[in-house]
Order: sequence, then structure tokens, then C-alpha cells
Amino acid sequence: MAQDIVNWILLGCFYAAIGLGFSLVWGLMNILNLAQGSLVILGAYVAYWSYTVLHLNPFVGILVAMGVLFCIGYAIQYVMINRVIRAPFLVTFMLTFGLDLLISNVLQDVFTAGYKAINTPYSSAGFEVLGARIPLLNLAVGAIAVALTAALSLFLSRTRIGNAILAVGMDRDAARLMGISVANSYALTFGIGAALAGAAGAMLAMTLQFSPIFSGQFTLFAFVIVALGGLGTPWGALAGGLLFAFAEVFGPLVPGVGFGLDTAIAFVVLVLVLILRPYGVLGKPFYS
Amino acid sequence: MAKPTPDREIEADAALALAPRESKDWRWSLGLGIVILAVIGLIPLTGDQSALGMWTFIVMYCVLAQGWNFIGGFAGHAAFGNVAFFGIGAYTVSLVLERNMPYLLGLVLAPIIAGLFAFLLGLPVLRLRGHYFAIATLGIAEALGQVIQSKNVGGTAGEISLNPPGLNFELTNSLFFYGFLVLSLLTLLGTTWLTRSRFGYALVAIRENEQAAEALGIATYWYKVGAFVLSALPTAVAGGLFAYWQLSFDPVGEGGAFDVSISVAMVLMTFLGGAGTILGPILGAIIIEYLDQYTSISFTAIHGPLLGVLIILVTIFLPQGLIRLVQELIRAPAGVKQSYPMRVRQGVRRVTRFILSNGI
Repeated sequence: MAQDIVNWILLGCFYAAIGLGFSLVWGLMNILNLAQGSLVILGAYVAYWSYTVLHLNPFVGILVAMGVLFCIGYAIQYVMINRVIRAPFLVTFMLTFGLDLLISNVLQDVFTAGYKAINTPYSSAGFEVLGARIPLLNLAVGAIAVALTAALSLFLSRTRIGNAILAVGMDRDAARLMGISVANSYALTFGIGAALAGAAGAMLAMTLQFSPIFSGQFTLFAFVIVALGGLGTPWGALAGGLLFAFAEVFGPLVPGVGFGLDTAIAFVVLVLVLILRPYGVLGKPFYS
Repeated sequence: MAKPTPDREIEADAALALAPRESKDWRWSLGLGIVILAVIGLIPLTGDQSALGMWTFIVMYCVLAQGWNFIGGFAGHAAFGNVAFFGIGAYTVSLVLERNMPYLLGLVLAPIIAGLFAFLLGLPVLRLRGHYFAIATLGIAEALGQVIQSKNVGGTAGEISLNPPGLNFELTNSLFFYGFLVLSLLTLLGTTWLTRSRFGYALVAIRENEQAAEALGIATYWYKVGAFVLSALPTAVAGGLFAYWQLSFDPVGEGGAFDVSISVAMVLMTFLGGAGTILGPILGAIIIEYLDQYTSISFTAIHGPLLGVLIILVTIFLPQGLIRLVQELIRAPAGVKQSYPMRVRQGVRRVTRFILSNGI
């Protein structure tokens, strides 16, 4: 039982990292970024590459993945999504789906669908508390995920750029009248969202195996996590991640459910939450 | 007092404008649709079995896109789980055949069960809006495939393997081809009826402004449920035809009966052709599925990425679909006589402006 609780919290923090960028992009631009899963996997490959080819420390690899993904995200928004940002949501929905197909298929063509992971000498290091084993890397990943959540929250509320991004999310036209470049601000938002996806991917590569075929699953997870936690704040992603991990760790223990049904469990939980609390656990009318 | 002539003309014009004048467009669309399907119907006569297989898939996707058009195009609800109806149709027929019952019984049961499922699912799901509706439907389709796989419905891990019908190979293929074609024709007639019925007008009103529709006294919720059930019916029959035609298939994964990319294909095809139009889904399905089949045979490496690029280009440059583009091309300014080349030039200019007018 102690082991289950440890697994739950560590997995929940990791899930928060996956949902974080998704929540930002959805909350501020009303875009459901279906390419989130592919961006996570892309981040994982960048981290994997910086470890195996550049021989960088995996934790530095997180920064590399964030940098690369930020540039890619910025370009995607500036060149493509900004062109259809005023269209009905189904259009951006389809557009990001096309991006997802493109990225995951190119990754599959280039790297094949085989499983990969970063294996370090300290990958299996850990310690025991109350009979539960705590792997060191997973603990670090959980801490980084919480730190990223706090950093995003502070960035949005305390910095000038963060405030500008929020302003554009609140009222695009009023923000433009205040002298904010809307196109640039949207691109920054998506870039940050992609960078967070990259960080999640790098952490995925450090703790688990990854392959391009996982991308759809991670997009689905990101959606469920954010919808569970609520769109209002970055902390919603953390709440959603913990809730989702709870369902995933403890759901199969319910008699008669068994393993192999994680998507089904996720959606049962999602539909229940949407019925009981339509705006999620920590949902607020606006992102801040 | 006698009025001067010009005034009387204006009066006559005004009367004409006030009198309800029906658009005759639907006759053109229906006629053209029947012609397209009739031409496709000639393919078995060539005797080329690989071409026949490819076009059977194309016509199947015509049906699926036409089915999605009811909920997505007319009612404007982004359902991403319509493959669930397809899968339900396929598994209903498979379970019926595995119990040695007649195929026709399966084909009749498939739309009934899928329609019932759409009704029961629609009751909670259609209370959600926008993104939530899209993802809830997507997730339910995924979850359904996963349940069938893990509970071993119809076979180990849900893998279906049926005995072939006892007819010769060529005849069987032609029969399934014409089955899909007739289904597509029926759906075409249904769509045409919908564009001219009270039900269809209500759905369009919901798409354009749900609150205004509600205020006008339209029971929007029930109309949406109706559209959802309507879109399930042809999709389920297509699933039933698919099952006996393919004989063996998996629940999930590529080529599976609950493969989410089928859902996405329906949306993309309807979009490319023109959502909420009579001809749009058929045109979109023919173009995309032809390209898809062609590249999967001749250019395997670019086949996957190509679909992604296609989606991106269509959504950026043609979010309203090809039909809208054609309308823009042939729309002539009222009362002005123009020479033919002049009209073409102006039409092309309108189309270019239309394509490039997106963005912030």
C-alpha cells in the first residue's frame, strides 16, 4: 500500500508536467493542442539525442529539449496556427491533429517505432521509506514538475511578458490597443507550451521507455488531466495529474476491473468529473 | 394616380424578393451526386480486382463522411468518435455470423443497435459543448475498442475471423462494392431530404447559433440527439458490410474496426468537400481516400506524413471546403452582364482573395 501511494504521487507529478503546457495553450488561446503528445515524444528524442550524442547530463538535456521545443512551438504558432486563430475551434482542432500526424509519422520514419530510454549509471538508484522504494530519478522528476508549475504561475503573474500573454488571452483586441503584439504573444504562449511538453518528454525519457506510437495516448492523457484539474490555473494541471494517476494506480485494484483498461478508466473518471464539476477540480473562469 | 414605369418595376422586384424563393441548388447537387456515383458504379465492369478493392474503400469512406455530415456538418458538433458506430456495426454482424445466423439479420440489427447506442450516449454527451464534446466522443470510441479487446468479445483479444461467403471471389467483391454504393446513394437522398426539411433547418439553426435557436422554440437538445442517431445509422451499416467483406480484423490499431483515424478521416473528408453540403462529403472522400490509397501503394515512406500535411493545408487554406470555393467561383454579380472570360477572371480573383483572407 505504501508503495502504491509513492507510485501514485510520483506518477501524478509527472502527469502534471504533461498537462501543464496543454493547459496553458487551451486556457489562453482556446486551442486544444492535439500535437501535445507528439511534442512530448519529440522532446524525449531531443533529450535522448543530447545524452547519447552530445553526452550531456540528462538534467541538462531537459533544458536542451525545452529550448529546441520552444523554437519549434513558436514557429508552428507564428506560421500556421495564427492564420486560423479566428476560425471556429474545429479548424484549429483539425490543424493540430494534422501536425500530430506529421510529427509522429516523421519521427516513426526517422527513428522507427522501437522503444528507447535514457539509461544512466544512477537510473536504478533509490532509497526505502516505510517499506516503499523511492527511485531517485522519479523523485527528481516529480520535484522538477512541481517547480515548473510554480515557475509558470510566477512567470504569468509577476513578469511583464507573462502579463502581456494573459492580457491577450483575456481580450485580444483590447490588448492590441494597449500596444501588445498579438501574433508574437500567441507565438510565445504556444512556444512555452511546447517547451513544457519538451521538458515532460525529457523526463519521460529519463524514467520510462518511449516510442512515437505513444503520442496519441499522451495527448489523450493531457486532455483528461487538464479537464480533471480545471483550466483556471497552472496548479489545475497538478491537481488533475494527481487525480488521474490516482485512478490509474488504484483503479485496477477494484475487483473485476483488472489491467489493460487504463483509457477506459480515464474516461469514466473524466465523464464523472464533467458531470459533477463541469469546470474541473480547481477550475476558474479565467487563466491566471 | 398612375405611377411611372420605373416605380412599378421596383415594386415587382420587391414582391419577388418577399415571396419565398427556393434555391434550386439542391437539384444540381443531387443530380451531380447521382452522376458521380453512377460513374463509379461502372468500375466492376472493367474487371480489375485491385481497382475494385480500392474503390470499395473509397465508396465506404463516402458513406462514413456522409454519416458524419449529419452531426458535424449540419448540427455543427465536432463528434470525433463516430468510428464507434462503425465498430458496433462490424461487431454486431460478426457476432451474428459467428452464431450461424443469416447475414441480413446482422445488417438489420447493426443500425438498430448503433442507433440505440447513439441515443443513450447522446443523452449525456450532447450536454457537453465544444472541446469537451469532441474529446468525450473520441474517448468513448477508444474506450469501447479497448473494452472489446480486453474482454475478448468475438474472439481472443477481440480479433475477428469469419468464414467467407460461399460465392466466387469476383462476384463477392462486386456485391460488397454495390452494397456500399447503394448505401451511399441512400445517404445522399437522405442528406438531400435533410437540407429541405424542418429537421435540417433546425440543425443548421443550432449550428449557427444554438441559443438563438433555443429562443425560437427549437428543442435543440433533442434535435442534436436526433442528428447523432441519424449519423450512426449509415455508419453502422457500413461497418456491417466492412466486417463481412474483410472477414478478419482487430478491434483497435491501424485497420481496426475502432481505429480512431477512421473518425478523423470522416471529419477531414467532410471538411475538404464542404461541411453541411450535399456533395461535399462525397467529393472529399473521393479525393482524400484516392490519394491515401495511391500513396500507400506507390510512395509508402511519405504516406503517413502526407496525410498530416494535407490536413494542415486544408485547414489553413480551405476551412470552408471545396464546395464553398465553387460557389465563390460561379457567383455572378446580380444584374450585370459580363462576357464569359471576364466572369472567369473575376471568379478566380474572388477565389484567391477568399483563400488568402485567413489570419489575425
